[in-house]
Amino acid sequence: MKRSVPFETFRYVAILAALAVTLVPILWMVSMAFKPIAEWSATGADLTWWPKQPTLDNFRFIFGESTSNLIVALDRTAAKPIASSLLSAIFGTAIAMGAGTAAAYGLSRFGSGQNLPLALIQLRLFPPMAVMIPVMIMWSFLNFMDSWWGLALIYGIVTLPFAFWLMKTFFDDMPREIEEAALVEGCSRLRVFTRITLPMMRAPLASAALFVFILNWSDYLIALLLTTREWVTIPVYMASLSSSMTGQLYGAKAALGLIAAVPPVVMGIAIQRHLVRGLTFGALKQ
Amino acid sequence: MNATAIMKHRDAAVSDGENTAAGVTDAEAARLGFRLTLPAQILVLFISAFPLLMQLYISLTDWSPLSGIGWWSAWELWNNFANYTDLAADGRFWSALGRTAIVMLVCVPAEFLLGLALATLFMDEFPGKRFFYSVMLMPMMVVPAVAGYMFFMLFQSGGPVNDLLSSLTGFPVTVAWLSDPTLALVAVMIADIWQWTPLMFLILLAGLVGVPEDQIKAATLLGANAWQRFTTIVLPKMKTIIVIALAIRVIENFKIFDTLYIMTGGGPGVATETISVYIYKVTTQDLIWGYVAAIALAILVVLSVVAVLAMKRMAQGREA
Amino acid sequence: MSSIHLQNLVKKFGEFTALKTMDLVIEDGEFMALLGPSGCGKSTTMNMIAGIEEPTSGRILFGDRDMAGVPMGGRGVGFVFQNYAIFTHMTVRQNLAYGLRMRGLAKSEIERKVSAIAELLQLSPLLDRKADRLSVNILQRVAIGRSAIMEPAIFLLDEPLSNVDAAFRAVMRTELKHLQRQFRQTMVYVTHDQLEAMTMADRIAVMDHGVLQQVGTPLEVYNHPANVFVARFIGAPGMNLLKGRPAERDRGLVIDLGRLGATQPLPPALAASLRNHGREVLYGFRPEQTLLSAEGRGLRMPVDFVERIGARTIVHLGRDETAVKAVFENDVKLGEAVTVSPAEASVRIFDAATGTAIRAE
Repeated sequence: MKRSVPFETFRYVAILAALAVTLVPILWMVSMAFKPIAEWSATGADLTWWPKQPTLDNFRFIFGESTSNLIVALDRTAAKPIASSLLSAIFGTAIAMGAGTAAAYGLSRFGSGQNLPLALIQLRLFPPMAVMIPVMIMWSFLNFMDSWWGLALIYGIVTLPFAFWLMKTFFDDMPREIEEAALVEGCSRLRVFTRITLPMMRAPLASAALFVFILNWSDYLIALLLTTREWVTIPVYMASLSSSMTGQLYGAKAALGLIAAVPPVVMGIAIQRHLVRGLTFGALKQ
Repeated sequence: MNATAIMKHRDAAVSDGENTAAGVTDAEAARLGFRLTLPAQILVLFISAFPLLMQLYISLTDWSPLSGIGWWSAWELWNNFANYTDLAADGRFWSALGRTAIVMLVCVPAEFLLGLALATLFMDEFPGKRFFYSVMLMPMMVVPAVAGYMFFMLFQSGGPVNDLLSSLTGFPVTVAWLSDPTLALVAVMIADIWQWTPLMFLILLAGLVGVPEDQIKAATLLGANAWQRFTTIVLPKMKTIIVIALAIRVIENFKIFDTLYIMTGGGPGVATETISVYIYKVTTQDLIWGYVAAIALAILVVLSVVAVLAMKRMAQGREA
Repeated sequence: MSSIHLQNLVKKFGEFTALKTMDLVIEDGEFMALLGPSGCGKSTTMNMIAGIEEPTSGRILFGDRDMAGVPMGGRGVGFVFQNYAIFTHMTVRQNLAYGLRMRGLAKSEIERKVSAIAELLQLSPLLDRKADRLSVNILQRVAIGRSAIMEPAIFLLDEPLSNVDAAFRAVMRTELKHLQRQFRQTMVYVTHDQLEAMTMADRIAVMDHGVLQQVGTPLEVYNHPANVFVARFIGAPGMNLLKGRPAERDRGLVIDLGRLGATQPLPPALAASLRNHGREVLYGFRPEQTLLSAEGRGLRMPVDFVERIGARTIVHLGRDETAVKAVFENDVKLGEAVTVSPAEASVRIFDAATGTAIRAE
């Protein structure tokens, strides 16, 4: 529809305002990440929006090189937390995608597991805190506490609903003719799945995997409860970035926060076409 | 492959073609289907069966990890339904629940209205739309915990929010947001609205675009103005999507934890203690896990009942 | 006054010109059909009359009111979409009442009018049914009713019968015609079906590729097509057209049909116009006016195919460039060679290069 000029200007003004509100917090964090200690600890009138002397000090700091004697060296660098976040998210995604894709195919093509859709939605319905105690006890029993593989397992379970629902809608959307043609040719059903369906599904699989990865990477509560020292993930580790002299190390937190925030944002924009499908459990498509 | 095998598969393919998920006539398919869904079934069972039973058990005891005995021996600390009666009388629990409700009643409608407004702005094509759209989605992709640190920094008494308010109002603002009971709650709600409005925007835009353009044109030709078109055609057609969007946000908002906990830790005092924070604190500080199990089960039961009722409503709505 | 004047109307979509300079006058109270194949610009024209599209250049006047800048909500036209655009989330009653509701009419007044229009279109028993479960035939009547209830001076219909089943189509054609007569509305009717246009319209505007080919009454476009396109498009099957040259013979000017080895006589009036023509022409005659004639006095061609459609028999003679269709009752056998010739008065000549008709002087 053609819009009038006043409306068009209003639209742009409104969108720019929304954009500003959206970006300001993020840009603030970016700005803090590159500020030297004098600037990020400034308050009130001394505040500056952009670093006057941008520096990579904060980034160096979290990886072990302290350049200022106002801050004590950390007893631990950010390297292991980053590794922990990465490993638990990657393997958690693998578990969720593995079980989820297989089950989604089983339901979509063979009608197996009729209870799964409901069961998996219920999984997301309840607050995680409501099941964390049993999980802690189980994990403790299995010796999975404070380990990235223990995290990966629970992540896989917790994001299984998303993997399942996403892949199920993708499978439902895919026409069966090609698979049926292969079946007529004499292919076994399993082979049809592995040799024909899955390769055709590369793009949806990638999108679903990225979606699930973002969710796993973004976890805080579960890691908070299941990791204590060795394998804390990035968000949990960030709490320890404070010193007795200068209090909270905003610069360092901003730097690490930036590192943690960039991958999901980039991935999210890459898969934005499928976000609605993933977030509404396939009820809607874009 | 020999001829019999090919024939068998051809027959199977034919019969399979008529079948969707409604039922399987081919035994091989059923077996494969079963095997494919098995891992997921096991994981689901793992996370629902044992936790449920275990919590049922210890919720009827005074057990705590500090009590010196393994959880399986919790029967030694049996207390019947004391935990549940305590829960009913637990003022802190009910306040936490009330606070969660307040947060929900402010945040979800705000996110909905802002998301809807943004979605209507994004309905037509305009230069730069794709770029603006991608940027608008960013907040919901920021790790919630990181958003927590972000807003923690923003709301410091010497921080940018106060700085901005100072320049806008002309006189110096040095409010200690996160130390004031009311303002801390406001700050937390602002953070939630900032982060999740894009989600509403995303879903509602998808719904908006799905409204048949022809019917909107027809309405215009019959003399409807923009507002009338919006209320008589667009909104009714978006009913299902609106319900879905609200349901999703209500469920997630109820569980609010990451951003809030990092910003305020539930404080000052219990000023921002929502239900998840409360449970977390009792679990990690008071360590009375028997009691926590009772809380968890109570919530589970209530949510299940609500979910079942909602599903029934939806099924009825579809038949009508 | 509800006449419509289209002056120098042009519509471009980026590089593509959908409508090239259209000039048309639709009289007050007239039923005008915009007829043409897909993509000819008829729907575009109608959208511009309704205000759904803006012309790239040119003017549209309702009576003597220039419609430039008047939004589509304010033109007072009724519009029936090809796929009806019924409000599927409302009942039939709510659909019919919608326009009046938007106008702010009193409830009792709306009730009255809705009952009246429902009565007229035989929708009364369905008034409280939800619109998403109704058959196409009913939907179409609701679409018409929804617009008609507003009593617009101008009624625009965009291929309203193309989705309706064939049996119902004939019924609806009469109903629509009745409606128009009754309310004395100016009706503009877009269709690609020439039979529909021929049976319903007072006048037909034939269009092709964004250009108006001819405007006239059904009889005019049928009997005196302005060019080859109209000649072929109107009539089922369309006019036969054979290449030939005017040539002088003892009996007067004839058309030498070259390949067919025949020469056809011309009525004197036409002969006069063609005397100095010289170039290649197309010799046209309608299948319905083709008769079996005596040997040597027409075109001798083999019967290629006989199409029997109920009351009519279409005989296909010859092949490819020299194919001719004839409609007659006689029994002919496949492969049999027959001689046919058009009634002399029905012959039409067109310039082969430009396609325009060459009229008798």
